[in-house]
Amino acid sequence: MSSLELRQIEKRYGGYRALRGINLRVEPGEFIVMVGPSGCGKSTLLKSIAGLVQVDSGEMLINGRDVTKAEPGDRGIAMVFQSYALYPHMTVAENMGFGLRMAKRPRTEIDAAVGRAAQILRLTDQLDKLPKQLSGGQRQRVAIGRAITRSPEVFLFDEPLSNLDAALRTQMRVELSTLHAALGATMVYVTHDQVEAMTMASRIVVLNAGSVEQVGAPRDLYSNPVNRFVAGFLGAPRMNFFEAKIVEARLGQVSVETAGLGRFAMPVVANTPLAIGDTATIGIRPEALKLVGNRDGAHFSGAAQLVEYLGRETIVYADAAPLRCIGSDTGTGNVTIHLPGIAQLETGASLQIAFDPANAYLFGGAEQRTLSAPKTI
Amino acid sequence: MYPRPIPPTARTERRLYLVLVIAILVVWLAPLFAIILTSFRSSADVANGNLWGWPTQFNLIDNYTGVFSRTPMAQYFLNSLLITVPSVIGVLVLSTLSGFVLAKYRFRGNMALFAVFVGGNFMPAQIMMIPVRDLMVRLGLYDTTFALIIFHVAFQTGFATLFMRNFVAALPDELFEAARAEGASPAQILRHVVFPLVRPAFAALAILTFTFIWNDYFWAVVLTISDTVKPVTAGLANLRGQYVSEWNIISAATMIVAVPPVVMFFLMQRHFIAGLTMGAVKG
Repeated sequence: MSSLELRQIEKRYGGYRALRGINLRVEPGEFIVMVGPSGCGKSTLLKSIAGLVQVDSGEMLINGRDVTKAEPGDRGIAMVFQSYALYPHMTVAENMGFGLRMAKRPRTEIDAAVGRAAQILRLTDQLDKLPKQLSGGQRQRVAIGRAITRSPEVFLFDEPLSNLDAALRTQMRVELSTLHAALGATMVYVTHDQVEAMTMASRIVVLNAGSVEQVGAPRDLYSNPVNRFVAGFLGAPRMNFFEAKIVEARLGQVSVETAGLGRFAMPVVANTPLAIGDTATIGIRPEALKLVGNRDGAHFSGAAQLVEYLGRETIVYADAAPLRCIGSDTGTGNVTIHLPGIAQLETGASLQIAFDPANAYLFGGAEQRTLSAPKTI
Repeated sequence: MYPRPIPPTARTERRLYLVLVIAILVVWLAPLFAIILTSFRSSADVANGNLWGWPTQFNLIDNYTGVFSRTPMAQYFLNSLLITVPSVIGVLVLSTLSGFVLAKYRFRGNMALFAVFVGGNFMPAQIMMIPVRDLMVRLGLYDTTFALIIFHVAFQTGFATLFMRNFVAALPDELFEAARAEGASPAQILRHVVFPLVRPAFAALAILTFTFIWNDYFWAVVLTISDTVKPVTAGLANLRGQYVSEWNIISAATMIVAVPPVVMFFLMQRHFIAGLTMGAVKG
């Protein structure tokens, strides 16, 4: 169990700043998941920690030891790659013992370490096979086994499950969480899959354009994102965003007005920079929207454009003009509604939709910070 | 516009095609058959001008033993091996090292250096004839086995590096990153990861350079004069002067000279394994 500390890590590729002053402290035994959109620098950051990428400035400490300039092999890390990166000409046992063999450890020690890792990962019967004789899930377990045998201070995972099919991914997710609990090791895990982030992480690090946006426990991040980016990134289907105008501002409360939503009051943090006439963004999670029976209880109405039945949940995309979603992936302006169970809805059905303003978010200012009052979890 | 098989119904076309193929094959292989048959003939046959017809008398054993007992071919053969084998090994070692570095290490001037290796291939051998001979004379290596070894290693490594660099570049980067992350030194990576995985390229290059160097005549003539150094190609040319009428012996010698590249091919064949990196990455 070891700590990992990053101080002001900077990395440039030519004129492009891939990492912009990253600060992070990972406590011993933590499972840190780094998420972010493609090109946000999460893989670069992981490779920097591994020493495969040399950072331009900043400091990196593993267990208090400065490893900023250390060779990858001397850092006490082990990395698991998205593509497994198994040596195709070596058996499973040789693959798992590679690091120890390179370090010229005695044969008995290597065999013992490989045997132990194989037992943990249920690979004991596969030790003499070549990687090409294994299934995808087994290959990934071998790659993890290769990391375990070196008993590193920090495990690094670079999207290890993204090449597996959905069912196997769910299974491996559970196995990795179990492994983390069993080894109690410090792990840093990069993924773009937010289910993995939400389920496995002790803490999630949200990265965007080379900077850390927010660090926190999954539930905190989901309920209290610091800004619109984090709010939009975590949660699937994505949060609905609407453009709004501030029509009334008092201490701890503002009233907002949106075309199609009308006017309503929201609790906000004490020191908002908002003034009457400013534009801001309202955010409502799809599951915070409810269908109501009659027009009186509704905040807005719309027509179902597309209904996705997923069995235990139903996702409805509704055209609620003049209310239009901004920044949606599809660009249609449709509002996304997430309903539990199977909702009997036909395409084109007219919907009456309501929500509790206390569940809505307000983002404003230049950085689109969260201004609505924190939600209690 | 891909080649389509001629349909079985088009009889005339099929026949025409077959005739054409056989005609081309005959033209192509006729000299080879003539040499094979001539290596079986008696001297009398050759003297009578029967160079293309069926031998009247088979002198197979006499001719082939004659190559070794009556000519210095055994010496030439040994010389050729002494030149070719070290050259091939030198080329393989150097090109693997340079290919690995050029493929997987980023440094200033990487591409420029690579261009030098590739560009060297475009230089015609003839323009280097006098400078290279002069160089070897000054180094005191003229008319030694080393002159040919050094020249062949230098000249073949350019192409071989191009070949190896592209082969190593196609190996997944993650394998090298994984090895580095596990603390393997560059030498260990070379030995435990690169060498085992470039085996097919190694075999192909070994055959190519072996055949190239074994069959080289130009530099053999330019850089050697004495029988103790001369390889088979230059030696064969010598035989023609000495045994001007004994085409049967020369043909037998030619057949013997042609054997090693063929043997080399069969030796290396088992290393041509498709999909050696299968299972390394992804499914």
